[in-house]
Amino acid sequence: MPKRKFIFNKLIEIVIIFFVILTVLFFLFRLAPGDPVTRMVDPMLTPEDARHLVEQLGLDQPLWKQYLVYVKNFFTGNLGTSFHYGEPVGNIILSKLPCTILLFTTSTLLAAFAGVLLGKISAWNKGSKLDTFLSISALIGHTLFIPWFALIVLWVLAFKAGWFPLGGMITPEVWISDASVIVKILDVIHHMILPLFTLFCIHLGSYLLLMRSAMLGVLQEDYIITARAKGLSEKVIRNKHAAKNAALPVITSVGLSLAFSINGGALTEQIFTWPGIGRELIFAVSNNDYPLAQACFLLITAVVLVANLIVDLLYSYLDPRIRY
Amino acid sequence: MHKNHYIERFQKGWSVFIKNPMGKTGIVILTVFMLMAIASFFVPLLGPTYDPMSGADPLIKISVGPSLQHWLGTDFIGRDIFCQLLEGAKVAFIVGLSCAFISIVLGTAIGMVSGYAGGITDTLLMRIADMFMVMPTLVILLILASLWQLSIWVIILIIAIMRWPSVSRIIRSQTLSLKQRPFIEASKVAGASSGRIIFRHIMPNVLPLAFLYMTFRVTSAILVEAALSFLGFGDPGQVSWGMMLQWVWSSGHMFQAPYWLLPPGICISLLTLSFYMLGRAMDEVLDPRLRKEEGGE
Repeated sequence: MPKRKFIFNKLIEIVIIFFVILTVLFFLFRLAPGDPVTRMVDPMLTPEDARHLVEQLGLDQPLWKQYLVYVKNFFTGNLGTSFHYGEPVGNIILSKLPCTILLFTTSTLLAAFAGVLLGKISAWNKGSKLDTFLSISALIGHTLFIPWFALIVLWVLAFKAGWFPLGGMITPEVWISDASVIVKILDVIHHMILPLFTLFCIHLGSYLLLMRSAMLGVLQEDYIITARAKGLSEKVIRNKHAAKNAALPVITSVGLSLAFSINGGALTEQIFTWPGIGRELIFAVSNNDYPLAQACFLLITAVVLVANLIVDLLYSYLDPRIRY
Repeated sequence: MHKNHYIERFQKGWSVFIKNPMGKTGIVILTVFMLMAIASFFVPLLGPTYDPMSGADPLIKISVGPSLQHWLGTDFIGRDIFCQLLEGAKVAFIVGLSCAFISIVLGTAIGMVSGYAGGITDTLLMRIADMFMVMPTLVILLILASLWQLSIWVIILIIAIMRWPSVSRIIRSQTLSLKQRPFIEASKVAGASSGRIIFRHIMPNVLPLAFLYMTFRVTSAILVEAALSFLGFGDPGQVSWGMMLQWVWSSGHMFQAPYWLLPPGICISLLTLSFYMLGRAMDEVLDPRLRKEEGGE
């Protein structure tokens, strides 16, 4: 089964990459100035507890043993205790993950869908006023400075107009009261619209530009001429023959631009105080909460790698020309 | 005669470039920002109260709107926003251009070696490239910022190191196709060393492409540095547009002081847009296929 082999190879590759990153991170934390003990052990702990934690993390051992303990701890899910929350970091980041995934997948899917649609229209009407307008807007969206755009959105739609909350994910009063589930879901959606809108606008531009240029390329292919010669309607040529093939590179770019989207996601979470992983990482870094920062970083890395795998698989499924 | 050929090619390219509306707009915006960056060198002549970092108007200790003394108003301790904006232009150019330059040099060198050598070297280098490519630069910078206080030059270096892979992928595929050409075969037969073939024969052919990618790298470098500064992990000794936005935000002025919130964001977005436009226009100069398609309209 060639396909199974392809998946297997990809998995091996991901595991190797992850191990390299895990190792680099370990050495970075030991190379940095200062004592690694003060970095991994909460200064607020009693000496008794601190010594226990040092033993648990293997910080009193030689470096190579420390590394083994670190890898073992990672795979048993023991990533240390957050200084700020006083809780195991594993629990904290796992509770934040759904919020990030919710915001992230919704915005990416919506933007990719709208980008493919608008890019198709733009390329089909190449040179028209509509095309010029769409291309220029996409260009501006693509190069916008994300935090600034988010601040403007917040200022205009939440502060001035007052249509949306200034941040967060829920209204505590609603969730304490015994409101129905639908009210609670609507409350989350109400909080989600602004960050979603920001991420959507930013990603829409790049998908639109990509789809436009892919579509323009496809329209020059011979099979489009064949389709015309066969007397197929323009609509069928546009939607069935051209757009379907042009959309493939857009899917790959979802994977390739993932790193870029994560940057944008973290910034958006930070400004709209959306309780996700990106915001948690920024919080941890500002408060020198090293165990939490390390865990957030590893989780983001893992998510990126897995998402890349999914995109690869999706691509091989969608493009029948690719046979592994 | 050899020289004339290059000049001719440049003139031809330039005429296509300048006819392109995107290239024209990009050049105009870029010129404005360059003038701003140059103007920042004359700010000290205005006196110590106009220093973008340490200067503060002793009569104004708070943020006030635009006036004759302070064209764009002052920030929360009375520093002149316009002077900070000029200084920010200089920093953005330094960050963008040096990042792009380093990552292009790295990317081109690695791409050429990878493509020319092939085999295990190629596989190894490209796997490393893959690894860098999937990592979000800002997240890497954040984790490093938690361990070290990053100076502006360290930030530049890290961004550059994170951004070479996409360049080297393109240069590699270009090198692979060049390798098949007869003139490479001929110089191999003539006894040229690998180093000589790479630098004398392959490099001149991939350099235009590398320059094209440089403009796109400038865009992303400026955005990442600004984002890092905005989050409060930039070089504390250096005013930048991202830092200005960080000050608006952290001092709680973002909804009260549009004269302070708007300029840095507009500047970052416009500067990156102009570099991006430049890149797209250059794309057309280098890729005759695109040009013909445009001309066919």
